[in-house]
Amino acid sequence: MLKITDLSARVGGKDILKGVNLEVNAGEVHAIMGPNGSGKSTLAQILAGREDYEVTGGTVSFEGRDLLAMPTEERARAGLFLGFQYPVEIPGVNNVYLLKAALNAKRKAAGEPEVDAYEFLTLIRQKMKFMQMSESFLTRAVNEGFSGGEKKRNEVLQMLVLEPKLAILDETDSGLDIDALKVVSAGVNSLRDPTRAVVLVTHYQRLLDYVVPDQVHVLSGGRILKSGDSSLARELEKRGYDWVLETRVA
Amino acid sequence: MNPSPAVRSFTSQWQSRSADALSAVRDEAMQRFLKLGLPTTHDETWRYTNLRSLAARSFEDAPRKTRSEIEPNASLSLLSNNDRAAALLVVNGYPVVPAADGLIDGIEINSLRELTRIDPKLLQRFMEPLSDADQQRWNLLNTALFVDGLHLKITHRVQVPLLILHVATSDRDNDIAFPRIIIEMAPGSSATIIEHHVAQGPHTPLNNSTTHIALERNAQLEHYRVFATGPGATHFDSLNIHQEHDSRLKQFTIALGGGLVRTSLEANLNQPGAALDSYALLVGHENRHVDCVNIVTHAAPHTRSTQTARAIASDDSRVVFNSKVIVNAGAAHAESQQSCRGLLLSPTAEIDTRPQLEIHADEVKCAHGATVGRLDPDMLFYMLSRGLDREAAQSLLVFAFLSDVLTGMSVASARTAIENALIVQLPDSQTLQKFR
Repeated sequence: MLKITDLSARVGGKDILKGVNLEVNAGEVHAIMGPNGSGKSTLAQILAGREDYEVTGGTVSFEGRDLLAMPTEERARAGLFLGFQYPVEIPGVNNVYLLKAALNAKRKAAGEPEVDAYEFLTLIRQKMKFMQMSESFLTRAVNEGFSGGEKKRNEVLQMLVLEPKLAILDETDSGLDIDALKVVSAGVNSLRDPTRAVVLVTHYQRLLDYVVPDQVHVLSGGRILKSGDSSLARELEKRGYDWVLETRVA
Repeated sequence: MNPSPAVRSFTSQWQSRSADALSAVRDEAMQRFLKLGLPTTHDETWRYTNLRSLAARSFEDAPRKTRSEIEPNASLSLLSNNDRAAALLVVNGYPVVPAADGLIDGIEINSLRELTRIDPKLLQRFMEPLSDADQQRWNLLNTALFVDGLHLKITHRVQVPLLILHVATSDRDNDIAFPRIIIEMAPGSSATIIEHHVAQGPHTPLNNSTTHIALERNAQLEHYRVFATGPGATHFDSLNIHQEHDSRLKQFTIALGGGLVRTSLEANLNQPGAALDSYALLVGHENRHVDCVNIVTHAAPHTRSTQTARAIASDDSRVVFNSKVIVNAGAAHAESQQSCRGLLLSPTAEIDTRPQLEIHADEVKCAHGATVGRLDPDMLFYMLSRGLDREAAQSLLVFAFLSDVLTGMSVASARTAIENALIVQLPDSQTLQKFR
């Protein structure tokens, strides 16, 4: 589904990614872990199409298409979703309007008719209940005045409504208390199926107790230094990132 | 220095006016205007608006018209028929309603021409004191030259909004009109009044309009002035406000059209408890020029004012918003807030905004803020990452930017009409229509 080959990128004149290789197949959940500043968020943003990040080398294919050649909005319509680490507040734009516009953009691209207003509201209510969100989210502006946890729930809500083929969740677990973490994890798990894939970008192993990944990668200094199964996450939790860096040097 | 052709033409209009009961004050206004001349960019509130090409033209009085000469579609309304108490039609400053109608539930309506005859003292109250301040220059000229207009006295609590439709129309170039409206709010009265300025036909007269609003004790008014004339139109509008004890005014200045629109608002909060919330929504596109100046004086303790201005400029347009809050000595516990924000939508557009404070009292709470910027790239990226079209995302963000003003409007039909007029000027109006 996603194949990243030798990807390097620069942000603000600084080389951040220095040859990332990663392959994610349908049905899989991958976790990308790593210390702060290792390039995890840059990778996530580049995959989603952030324009001010400069790709300096490598290729990315998504379902056989050249992802880097696609504009941001086309990537989303093709089924790629980024759950933001810091979801932006957009005062004046209603949360539900945005979601409806997003869903309709996707449907339009797939040649489907626009969603019926009643049907949409039913869908939203159902997903909001699942995410244990209050009805007030229906009337509020996008992320405006949301707490950190509410913003993350809102990201997962959007993901559940849009049902992406590939969801990249950038530190969706950070800043969540244990109850919120369980809700968010349940949301991610509900999306798991043989036709979809999930990439979890995270700093901590905590989330991976609830969403068990098929593969874990350690990104550091702009490269993937180590990959393994879910036991790698526990190993990291025990021994710290230095362990990976040291074993590599050794 | 020789007077410009424009000033010479105003002088000959002045000479052709017949004397009336207001001649003394009119004469003084004209003499002051002639002494000061047209404003230039050396005048503080005219720094960004150059009237040189206008000064080279000569003007004549715009004609009176009857109702039958006005195309029905010129009365494109901000209020549906069901939502309003009445619609008063004013063409080139002349009221077309039969003024003899007198009373519409809680509103006494008189023509100024009529009042000049029967109660000149009343009118004089709204003309004085004359001021040499540069933001009052066109008001001086209007005082000297207006022929007719409307006086509205609100005596009760009027539930439904009142629409004043100003139509500017002419059969030739280089006409000028002097609309004048006086709104008097009796103690305890309340109303919503919408002044909507539109143009009809290929020739639009130069518009020099003034509105005076006086709110007595406990009176409440929501007032709109909406400018929606064509690209060739030039409009100077002066709004003068006096507020007494515990009166409350919510004022909206909406500039949606016109080649050159210059609005001024001068408010005096004369007694404790007076409160003014003023909003401005200034839209520049093509090569249009919008210049808005507000001057609010807190003349008594415990007075409150807010100013919320949102400006957008696209193409080669220029939008200017200057506001000044003055707190007089003795006006302790005055509170004021100025929030001016501008959004540039093209590299060749320009927005100038300058909030100012002049405080002569202690223990006041005054805040001001001004920002001018472009669309937030993080917001745009977020919306694109959800699959929205770039144009739709941009339009939504622009619309959202204006929402602080739009959500303040209590007249739903007016808000919808103003939103509709705004939306058609945005890059993706279709999507926006669906998402309101």
